[in-house]
Amino acid sequence: MQWSTLFKKEMLENWHNKKWIWVPLVIILIAILDPISNYYLPQIIESVGGVPDGTVIELPEFTPAEVVMMSLGQFSSLGVLIIVLMSMGTIAGERKSGVSELILVKPVSFKNYITAKWAALLVIVWGSLFIGMLASWYYTNLLYGELSLTALLQIVFFYGLWFMLVISLSIFYNTLFKTPGLVAFLTIITIMLMSVITQVFAHVLEWSPNNLSSHIFEMLMTDSIPSDLIGSAIVTIAISIILVAASILTFKNKELAE
Amino acid sequence: MTTLLTVKNLSKTYDSKAAVKNISFEFQSGKCIALIGPNGAGKTTILRTLAGLLKPSSGTVKFTDMKENDDLRKHIGYLPQYPVFYSWMTGMEFLVYSGQLAFLSKTEAGKRAEDLLVKVGISEAKHQRIGKYSGGMKQRLGIAQAIIHKPKLLMLDEPVSSLDPIGRREVLTLMEELKKEMTILFSTHILSDADEISDELLLLRKGEIVEAGSMSELRQKYQTSKIELEFQDDLENYQLKVNKLTNVMDSYIDRNVLHVTATDIIQARQEILTAAANENWPLTNFTLNRASLEDMFMKVVNN
Repeated sequence: MQWSTLFKKEMLENWHNKKWIWVPLVIILIAILDPISNYYLPQIIESVGGVPDGTVIELPEFTPAEVVMMSLGQFSSLGVLIIVLMSMGTIAGERKSGVSELILVKPVSFKNYITAKWAALLVIVWGSLFIGMLASWYYTNLLYGELSLTALLQIVFFYGLWFMLVISLSIFYNTLFKTPGLVAFLTIITIMLMSVITQVFAHVLEWSPNNLSSHIFEMLMTDSIPSDLIGSAIVTIAISIILVAASILTFKNKELAE
Repeated sequence: MTTLLTVKNLSKTYDSKAAVKNISFEFQSGKCIALIGPNGAGKTTILRTLAGLLKPSSGTVKFTDMKENDDLRKHIGYLPQYPVFYSWMTGMEFLVYSGQLAFLSKTEAGKRAEDLLVKVGISEAKHQRIGKYSGGMKQRLGIAQAIIHKPKLLMLDEPVSSLDPIGRREVLTLMEELKKEMTILFSTHILSDADEISDELLLLRKGEIVEAGSMSELRQKYQTSKIELEFQDDLENYQLKVNKLTNVMDSYIDRNVLHVTATDIIQARQEILTAAANENWPLTNFTLNRASLEDMFMKVVNN
């Protein structure tokens, strides 16, 4: 009851501040950039000129799975950045502006407050990811070859988990600090650190969240869900839940004004 | 009269600097209490601690009829000094949202919001974005959101100090009305506001309560035995005459006013008035000085 009040307000606010417009648009753009530019690369090079006559441009033929991976590759850098920027002020901004001083003196449960924000962000992110991948899927089918709808849905589900982790990290830092820029910085640093650790300890960290996309690639190649993908998914969900729980705990012990 | 709230040995320290030092007090329900003190005396810290926005470093805050583990925030309404709203919401939307957060149903919250918008006098702007509200309108919306859930205690942090004279008057009138329905605790550094609407005062200085009591109690306590006289003629002539009276201790002239200190103020009054009548003094003003809140404040704060 109180949760749905908070959740509805978040959804409405995200509509008012146009997040529901720009996030999907940017995600679509990111998703289709590589599939299209790679397909038309020979024409692009030709029209720009500068290549001696008679040069034969040989480009590898991409499989649909590889094309999807291009989109995911862009998501893991630009996409993450967008999500971090979108979520950096969700709590920090309210505390900084002072509006939280009115909201949190009402008998609002911190669990509701934080999970409602978390859920509202997840809805945007998953929704945008779905729309973006739908666009990517369209061009993949048009330009490169068949990719099944089931495969698309699986990609959206599993890759969405990675975005969920990013959101959870951002929420966690949101409860610790009230400067949105600092929240964004720390979230990105943490993701980079996780990526380094995953690479260094690759042999033991097979289920690291950072490996989600390589396991997704494996899934597309073998046409079945590899157990490592399930493992990574479970680890990602677990870390997200821990982060949200930690956020609630920090908030409970926090001075909400200063 | 019952005790509504008991604060015991409350302290609040920021980075080893004490903002509030070991204060204890009680509120009776139905009273209007003013927290008075210079800037930095700890008024806002006390209000925020009572509102649950700050955690006390030590000490307790307890409502008399509150159950164990009950959420204190259900019983209080709070308006910060500079309230910030979601500027994309309308006044009506914000009130309904606040009400729902305090466990009113949507219809209840809507009904209550309508009533309150009329009561605080901004019902014609209820469907306007809050971003377009003036300072006075925001302050009134702030009061409305603070009482939407009918709290037992309403706390207002400097409710009128940022308003222009008209807005100030409107908010004070509103508080006067709310006094009948709930206990109000408000902070201010404007002494005349406190004098006007509060039943009791808590004077703070550097995080400590230096004086507490009702207005009349404090007046009595800080009453000075002073008489002020003004004359049409040259003052010094009369100063000599006044000084000769038996109950007059001393006198001095400041800005064309003769200030007379007396050993017994009632006797001195008698003497002066008799002399004035007999000798036909051209008196233009005779004031038996009552301690003003400001005198009292200065005295207490400077001690």
